[in-house]
Amino acid sequence: MACMAGSDNESQLIEHSLSGDPEAYAALVVQYQAMIRAVTFRMTGSPDDAEELAQDAFLRAYRQLGSFGGGSKFSTWLCKIAINLSLDWRRRESRRDEIHSKWAAETVSENSSDGGFPDELSRRVQEALNRLPAKQRAAIVLTIYENQSHAEAAKTLSCTEATISWRVFAARQKLKRLLKDLTHEQT
Amino acid sequence: MNKPELESILKSARLPEIPGESLEMFPRRIVASLKRNDSPARSARNFSPHLAWACGLAACVIIAFAIGHWSGRMETIPATDNLASTTFIRETLAMFPNRLRAIVQDERGINLVLSENADVPISSPLYVHICDGGHCSSLVTFSGQEIQIAGQKVTVLADTHGSVILSGPHFMWSDNGQVYAGGHLKITTKNLGLIPM
Repeated sequence: MACMAGSDNESQLIEHSLSGDPEAYAALVVQYQAMIRAVTFRMTGSPDDAEELAQDAFLRAYRQLGSFGGGSKFSTWLCKIAINLSLDWRRRESRRDEIHSKWAAETVSENSSDGGFPDELSRRVQEALNRLPAKQRAAIVLTIYENQSHAEAAKTLSCTEATISWRVFAARQKLKRLLKDLTHEQT
Repeated sequence: MNKPELESILKSARLPEIPGESLEMFPRRIVASLKRNDSPARSARNFSPHLAWACGLAACVIIAFAIGHWSGRMETIPATDNLASTTFIRETLAMFPNRLRAIVQDERGINLVLSENADVPISSPLYVHICDGGHCSSLVTFSGQEIQIAGQKVTVLADTHGSVILSGPHFMWSDNGQVYAGGHLKITTKNLGLIPM
């Protein structure tokens, strides 16, 4: 899903939100919830965690709305918050996995195996995304699903364009291996 | 598989459908939360009750650690290790009765591992400090709980004399010097039940 362009109406909603009108902000949430929930789902592979992270992203965005200067599209700014929260979440989960405890890891895998996918291909793709390192996954989510350029993705993830290119390249190689049997099934 | 083929597969993957009710409730939940807590102008920080509790607990840990350090009672445990604080452990146990499976601390912070149900039997807390090369971590857990050390599942046990034993299919360590594997790891244990809590 591509990031949507801003509009006059959107600017007004942001202004009203800034002056403390939660209903105006709710209109922005309605407009962007599908996009943000898609980003957090692609990053976590779990509907519950995705919803929670999307909620955190919108709440954080509201609190930081004063720092949104309009230099980028509102959707890109929101996307940046969501993706960074997802990366923080992933770091926390990884830490729990690492610290010699099996219980947290089991919880994650239980959540991840939650179904609900409309078809097998969608499930397989998400499974493959789940197996990428978080930063590579973020690079794929931004460039493939959010249609960001490598330069935009670099800004979102606060790294260089070369780093993004490398992460996308490495992620593609892994995804090709993980999904190679889908080529014929799909065609 | 070439690049366009991969891209086509990735883009054709659809997401699980979000129930209409969830889509409808989501903005309302956010508005409700905003009305309770925040405004964009004043809320540079979100001081939630959990955060407040965490700060309070951290303060207790620091105070307990300072007192313990001053009185010289914690010399056998690394000075930077908050898990050595019995106050911290007691308060955490009180917060999650029969649910606390482990408290884990490494260089990045403290994490609690909780059981979903109140099914963790009451027993003496066991402190384990493990260094694998430069990477060290500590945990407090209870006899019978399973942890992972160097990629291996290991059960933490306490014997009747209070000694701590780490036992797995290919791993055995005990604080009385018996080591059948894991010799490359630096392990320190302590049965905290021996310390008056």
